Amino acid sequence: MKTVFTVLALVALLIAPLIVTDPFYVHLMIMVLMWTVLGVAWNILGGYAGQVSFGHSAFLGVGAYSTMILYLNLGISPWYGIVLGGLVSALIALPIGLICFRLRGPYFALSTLAVAEIVRLVALNWESLTNGPVGLLITTLPPVSLWGEPLNWESKTPFYYIIALIAAGALGITFLLARSRLGAYLLAIREDIDSAEAIGINTVQARVSALALSAFVAGVGGGFYAMYLRYVDPDAVFSISLSVEMVFIAVVGGLTTVIGPFIGAVFLVTLGETFRTHFLWGHLVFYGLFMMVAIRYMPEGIWGRVRKLIGNRVGVQNG
Amino acid sequence: METLVQSIVSGVLTGSLYAMIGVGLTIVFGVMRIINMAHGDMVMLGMYGAFWAHASWKMDPFLSIVLWVPAGFLGGLFIYRFLLRKIVPAGELNTLLYTAGLSLFVANLALLIWSGDYRTIKLPYAIMPLRPMGIAVPIPLAIAFGLAILVTAGLYWFLVHTDTGRAVRATSQEPEAAALMGISVGRISMITFGLGTALACGAGVLLAPSLYLYPTVGEILVAKCFVIVVLGGLGSVPGAIAGGLILGLAESLGAVYVSVPYKDAIGFVIFLLVLLFRPAGLLGGGKS
Repeated sequence: MKTVFTVLALVALLIAPLIVTDPFYVHLMIMVLMWTVLGVAWNILGGYAGQVSFGHSAFLGVGAYSTMILYLNLGISPWYGIVLGGLVSALIALPIGLICFRLRGPYFALSTLAVAEIVRLVALNWESLTNGPVGLLITTLPPVSLWGEPLNWESKTPFYYIIALIAAGALGITFLLARSRLGAYLLAIREDIDSAEAIGINTVQARVSALALSAFVAGVGGGFYAMYLRYVDPDAVFSISLSVEMVFIAVVGGLTTVIGPFIGAVFLVTLGETFRTHFLWGHLVFYGLFMMVAIRYMPEGIWGRVRKLIGNRVGVQNG
Repeated sequence: METLVQSIVSGVLTGSLYAMIGVGLTIVFGVMRIINMAHGDMVMLGMYGAFWAHASWKMDPFLSIVLWVPAGFLGGLFIYRFLLRKIVPAGELNTLLYTAGLSLFVANLALLIWSGDYRTIKLPYAIMPLRPMGIAVPIPLAIAFGLAILVTAGLYWFLVHTDTGRAVRATSQEPEAAALMGISVGRISMITFGLGTALACGAGVLLAPSLYLYPTVGEILVAKCFVIVVLGGLGSVPGAIAGGLILGLAESLGAVYVSVPYKDAIGFVIFLLVLLFRPAGLLGGGKS
């Protein structure tokens, strides 16, 4: 049953741009998938490991800047650069994890907020590398041919397939994580860190691994973001509100579920982007509203609730 | 020497306002264990309140504090009663996420209504700074400093000398024992949240003539708030006052002696160091 759903979903993902041709909707699908990736990244740490971070924009931003700088300064094609950007993010995450994981619960959350602000200020002021508040801009992407046909970067379709691939990969990572030994460790840490420690789990190592994995996925999402917009500046990729958006997508969609972040992204990003076409400012107003509603009435999120309602019948307990 | 005195003076002036915001955040944490992510947005609302009082009613922005502090108090009561009360028992992380939602909601509603354009309040008496003994003191900041001391001292007096204030401190120290002594913890929580919001709005009014106004200003203010209250120890009122002054001084001295672009980072670095090595705060009065 589940395999059927997965195959159907992949087919739908593959043919979606053939059916939907309106540029706004293609853009919408790209944004939904990109935020799925970012929500997945946050869910690995905030959901599975239960470590609430308010600083994930740091990893998104480092990934975005790395991809951009590697392309501009070293001429490394973004299609490797996106992955390298993710790796740089994961690398940055190691010292951050070792510092912040000495703290627990809300204190951890506050410390990640502080770290992200420090990273933002570094990006803002390290002008020789980041070009400061002006940001970095690329005008052309390197030509790529697929089956003899050069890809048209002016159309959005190639971006759609790239982010669809990344999103499928990110969801696959969560799926595997949930079934791995590390995933089990993380759940134990989330439930009761002292007991997890007592039964011999190296909780620092497990949490740092989760953070690095989470940062990698966020960094890859950031690299894509930079290439899609062809532009990065500190406010665009390091702002606190980006971190908060990631949190909300994961929580509203359903924490500790594989496809929760996708559901959250479909719901919130569609609302946000539609709102943006009608009003100039304030497109995140519904994010805040639904976050409050979700915490109050269904802390398990949309997908968590759906799974509870239909779970026993269709057998998707682990989905 | 003059530079040193100058940066100490401006550090203390800004620090007094930081302290006022921090005290609001810390009493709420002390009583209810809520880390209020929306605190900065309450400051933002106070700033816009002062702006509109000035723009539409030709009211002096500082005078409008008599309007917005009671309004903030009532708003706080309302927020606690209808939004937060049911969330508080769900734990610190849930309230953190919930108030983050509230923060984003308020900030974006403000963006929708007032747009993201920067605004300033132009006061005729604010053009030339005072120059006692060659030290430049901007007049709006000096007035704000005086009023911030007045309000913070008033709150301190309230907490120390009134029955309700004692009940607030008792609840903050030990909610269960307080409840056993006949204190209505629910009522005290509501009043405390009202006070916290009132302080935030009041600080916003006082800051408005000295800062640029834009709806997401709360984002950066709330981050600074956390630095302040963690410095002083979460839940400790004298700690928050000290923390506010320390942050103000660290920023102004840092701008002169370390580097201007990184002056905002200094606060965060101190914050991380304190969280790691003195989680109960520099004065040791907080709860970790």
